[in-house]
Amino acid sequence: MNHNRYLWLLVSFVLFAERLQADDVAFYLEEIKPVLKARCYACHGALRQERSLRLDTVPSILDAGILGSGKLLSRITSPDTEVRMPPDGDPLLPAQVDAIRNWIASGASGPDGEMAEDDPRNHWSFQPVMRPSLVSVSDMHPIDALLYVKYHRYGLTPQPEAPRLTQVRRLYFDLIGVPPEQADMETLQGDMHVTWYEQLVDRLLNDPRYGERWGRHWMDIWRYSDWWGLGQELRNSQKHIWHWRDWIVESLNDDTSYDEMIRQMLAADELYPEDLGKLRATGYLARNWFLFNRDPWMDEIVEHVSKGFLGLTMNCSKCHDHKYDPIQQVDFYRMRAFFEPYHVRTDVVPGVSDLVQDGIPRVYDGLLDKPTFLYIRGNEKTPDSSMVITPGVPKLLSFKPIQINPVMLPVSAWQPARRPWVLKAYLDAAREKCETAEGVLRTVREQQESSRDEDQTNGFRLRLAELDLSVAEAELDSIEKRATVLRLSWRRDEKPVNREKKDTAIRSERHLSLLKARRTLLEAEMRLMQSSEEGRKTITEEIKQLQKSLDSAVQKAEEPIGSDELMTPIVGAKWTPTRFLDSRKDDPTVDFQSQSTGRRSALADWITDRRNPLTARVAVNHIWMRHFGAPLVASVFDFGRKSDPPSHPELLDWLASELMDNNWSMKHLHRVIVTSAAYRMSSSSIGGQDNRKKDPENRYWWRRMPIRLESQVVRDTILFLSGVLDRSMGGPPVLPEQQDTSFRRSLYFFHSDNYRNLFLTTFDEASVKECYRREQSIVPQQALALTNSRLIQDASKKIAQSISQTLVVNEDRAFVQKAFAWILGIEVSESEQKAALYALEKWGNLPGSFRETAREQLIWALINHNDFVTVR
Amino acid sequence: MRITPPVNIRRRTFFKNSAMGCAGMALASLLQRDGYAKEGEWVAPDGVSHFTPKVKSVIWLFMNGGVSQVESFDPKPMLNRYAGKTIADTPFADVQDPKKLAIERLVVPDANGNQRNQLFPLQTGFRKHGQSGIEVSDWFPCIARNVDKLAIVRSMWTTDSNHGAQTQFHSGRHRNDGDFPTLGAWIHYGLGSLNDNLPHFISIGKREYWNKRDGHYLGPAHDAVPLRIDPDNPLDFSDPEQPVPVAARKIGQELIQRLNILRGDEYPDDPAIAARIASYELAFRMQKSIPEVVDFSGETAETKTLYGMDQPHSKSFGMQLLAARRFVERGVRFVQIQHGAGGAGSWDAHSGLKKNHATNALAVDQPIGGLLEDLDRRGMLDQTLVVFASEFGRTPGAQRSDGRDHHIFGFTVWMAGGGLKRGVVHGATDEIGFHAVENRHYVTDIHATILHQLGLDSRKLELPERKRLDIDHGSPITEIIA
Repeated sequence: MNHNRYLWLLVSFVLFAERLQADDVAFYLEEIKPVLKARCYACHGALRQERSLRLDTVPSILDAGILGSGKLLSRITSPDTEVRMPPDGDPLLPAQVDAIRNWIASGASGPDGEMAEDDPRNHWSFQPVMRPSLVSVSDMHPIDALLYVKYHRYGLTPQPEAPRLTQVRRLYFDLIGVPPEQADMETLQGDMHVTWYEQLVDRLLNDPRYGERWGRHWMDIWRYSDWWGLGQELRNSQKHIWHWRDWIVESLNDDTSYDEMIRQMLAADELYPEDLGKLRATGYLARNWFLFNRDPWMDEIVEHVSKGFLGLTMNCSKCHDHKYDPIQQVDFYRMRAFFEPYHVRTDVVPGVSDLVQDGIPRVYDGLLDKPTFLYIRGNEKTPDSSMVITPGVPKLLSFKPIQINPVMLPVSAWQPARRPWVLKAYLDAAREKCETAEGVLRTVREQQESSRDEDQTNGFRLRLAELDLSVAEAELDSIEKRATVLRLSWRRDEKPVNREKKDTAIRSERHLSLLKARRTLLEAEMRLMQSSEEGRKTITEEIKQLQKSLDSAVQKAEEPIGSDELMTPIVGAKWTPTRFLDSRKDDPTVDFQSQSTGRRSALADWITDRRNPLTARVAVNHIWMRHFGAPLVASVFDFGRKSDPPSHPELLDWLASELMDNNWSMKHLHRVIVTSAAYRMSSSSIGGQDNRKKDPENRYWWRRMPIRLESQVVRDTILFLSGVLDRSMGGPPVLPEQQDTSFRRSLYFFHSDNYRNLFLTTFDEASVKECYRREQSIVPQQALALTNSRLIQDASKKIAQSISQTLVVNEDRAFVQKAFAWILGIEVSESEQKAALYALEKWGNLPGSFRETAREQLIWALINHNDFVTVR
Repeated sequence: MRITPPVNIRRRTFFKNSAMGCAGMALASLLQRDGYAKEGEWVAPDGVSHFTPKVKSVIWLFMNGGVSQVESFDPKPMLNRYAGKTIADTPFADVQDPKKLAIERLVVPDANGNQRNQLFPLQTGFRKHGQSGIEVSDWFPCIARNVDKLAIVRSMWTTDSNHGAQTQFHSGRHRNDGDFPTLGAWIHYGLGSLNDNLPHFISIGKREYWNKRDGHYLGPAHDAVPLRIDPDNPLDFSDPEQPVPVAARKIGQELIQRLNILRGDEYPDDPAIAARIASYELAFRMQKSIPEVVDFSGETAETKTLYGMDQPHSKSFGMQLLAARRFVERGVRFVQIQHGAGGAGSWDAHSGLKKNHATNALAVDQPIGGLLEDLDRRGMLDQTLVVFASEFGRTPGAQRSDGRDHHIFGFTVWMAGGGLKRGVVHGATDEIGFHAVENRHYVTDIHATILHQLGLDSRKLELPERKRLDIDHGSPITEIIA
């Protein structure tokens, strides 16, 4: 055993020695430097210089004098975890230590002129956005001109424009998420106007389906999710969160600027406290609500505000300083402090007083003085309570001081019952209840008169209906009286509330409780009468209790009203109760406040400041990726030092400037992008063999990239082509049990962490936890869904019919040509035509088959064509 | 199929850079198999073991809700002796030392996160079985008959004392850490299938409570394919929802492939076309082969009885296990079977443990015993690893009058076959089955053991941008490896 071991050591030493002789610099570069970089640079490199030590070049290692003294080796091999380096994670592997030892022993060589790690402040994405001066190449589109620089440098020739059908289908999918109508397709095919394309772009950008299409993209990035929990218990996100989705769609259609959208999502409650429409935007924050624990809630906010808007992975600095970027651990908590005060509530909307039915989930600062503490090593059980962390941003990005000014809120924001529609909603609901009860009573009476049956149950029914009406009337009365008191109190803020009116309201409420108690009792008595022998005992027991409740309600109704007795308020909003304290019941209410801290509007102001180097770059990268199928910066949520630099930095900056210089208008940017020649290019590489050799990855965009359609677009397109897609917009989500038979667009489907639609999931549905980039998988389950689902089978019939109807001469050749054009955007080739006609003939020859069924089969096959789910 | 390489690499770097970090999706592995992958770049695993594997397949039996260790495979007579006593008043008071309880990570508090102080006696008897003389409770007579085939690990621990531990048992991560790939996904990712007509990773039985997905950052291609034991409807969209003549289908399938190939001529650099053609081929093959696997008409009555299919209480689980054997026979890598769906899991005996466990054991005992015997007599047990597990154990103390609560500090998992020692017990809990005290193992040690037997090194599988911690990898339990 030992013998072998020595032999092995000897052999490895010989190997090392040989190797070092051959190329000891290469040994450093291949074996030593990567280890130092991975394990040591975070503290001893450009990011930080703990103990003034840098290990990023050989000269700096030598200067530190840690080799000769043996200090480096002793620190990396120390068994004492307090001494051992690196302090975090596992010790270096024995093989790595051996390599370092050998490298030192052979003289610690390094390459000549070794460059130190660049200063993190010089990292490209932290530099201000500068509009590049364009080398003017005649009247070339700026995007093409910027791409041209690289074409020129690498000797590439861009591919020609894609065929018109391809361009039309591409533009429709890209801008509105459905293909053109068959007739539109044909018109566009023959449109001879020079500006046909530009006109089409304008038409599609003004189509309300643009908001639905791009809304879904931003819902991916902003983590839209319907609520989920256990059974009916709300644990994550919010009920009625769809209001935020509608806000996204509407804002995009209105071309609300990107910076304004960020401001509204982060701080509409401070900026527009009385505008219910804009308050919907804060669903962005309300979606992160989590019933049980504040810490994961805050963690997610910090992580996704920084990843989504800024392309920073601040989540990496929760437990320790960031290993790659100049972000300290404290910065994580400073970011959290912006959000520390906020909670979630639901506001009454006009026309609906019942918050279970509807309401707008939104945020407000409820905990104005809640301190934020740094958690030692990220552990929530060990907060460092010696210092309260104040809101702030990483030092490197503090191009201006963060100004936090508390916001005084209008009274209707924190006493929302004062909003004009609130009392009206309650009164209307109560009146409607009365009308319903009257109707029921009338029906019961009529039935009983006509039947003249002296059944005992009938007697109960009648009495119940009468009592229901009384309850409804009492409820209306109670609300009217309370509304009166409220109105008076608002009119004379300073004076004590009119005592007499208040007492009347309280008496009315007492009367209501009494009637309700009577009603419950009567209902139990009816059950007793209908009950079987064995059930009677429990019901009798229940009735005894109910009688007691009624007695005390009667007694209460007669008692004099105490001077400090309060009436039940009518609420215009309700706090969404949390359960952070392990008390098995809701936490104490977090009250609405007359002011807000102003923290979130300060953060929004900093994020959307023109000087912020990240916001616009991150946004245009997202937009570019969705137009082109691949981003300019590959790691779309990480623009930090770990990411690969952009393939076209000038293009990225030009797009970012273009966005900001045009008031952050996204429609402007879409228009600019889709009218470039690059966008309109063919995705085929045919004819570009030379390009392929020079740039096989298509890194420099000499051709377009095909895109797999997103799950929602696949389903929407099938419904659209069958002519059944429901064009109605907005509103509550389509619930799971209704989805199979629904014709609504897929973005309206209920979609949460617990529930995802089966068909959509097959095509890479967005994960609600994180989806900065949709996956584009190709798996057999997709084939099964597209070949076997009823959705496709039904659609094939309808599509075949509608194409057949447009044929002037009813022949298969024309059918095939039209079907390829409309369904796939393909001008059918001779060989495709031949294959399709051959199949049609074979189908037609099957027993029991005829022309139309054969055509349905062909449509079915085309829906299963690779290009059906592809944007070419 | 004539699709010309080279592959477009940008599409592949997409896997590396996408938000979920999803590497090696089906496309990548298809390309890999077709020899289209390029040198130099980091690439997804190639479906070849890192070292010589001992087993081909895994049958993973997961009992949802938490099986009581003391009334199954780790009987503790001390509970009878001290029944009704408060733990603090017994010689075992130190088990509740707060330091020893600190591993618990209870983030979502509910009614079940408490210590149960009053010791609850065993609700069934136990006796020694087989040559090994290992003690097994009387609720599992058929598994007990096969005890000499088992390697029992009595010293498991975990950290989430809610049913999120179900996810944790499969992924190694507490649910508050986010979503991580499960063991089956890693194996699928590393090895792929032995059979191109079947999915590589199959899930049978409802998954209600714990996360329904497996691949997570490895991508959805590594999710288990959920199957039902119903020859008429074994998987989602497996058959046309409206009937279509077979002949018509065949014409259509040929046309689809033909048109895609033609399209490939126009777009020679689009790897998606090749991948889509391959995915359709697999889909068409799966449609034929899966119903055949779950059609038991070729099995003898004796075999069906062996799996308990003649008894109403064990029929359903027996069918699942027989299907599992048939899938494994045909080369499926990982068959994940969940027992006891509904709520938090049917083994979750907060009250009425006696009736609960007796009923559940009756449903699974005969089928599992039968599976072990059937695999053995067919010579398959050496190449198949059977795992029996639940997310945690149950408290030695009573909850209410007659139940046991969740218990993370010590519980039992057993494995059988697959190059493991047979008839051995490894690790131990203390005398009342509270803490794992000897050879303690976190759940990922089970994963590491299984991966090791499959010839995989989890450190070689991990993605460069998704470095895993040591505890995520776990260590193989070498003591039970033959």
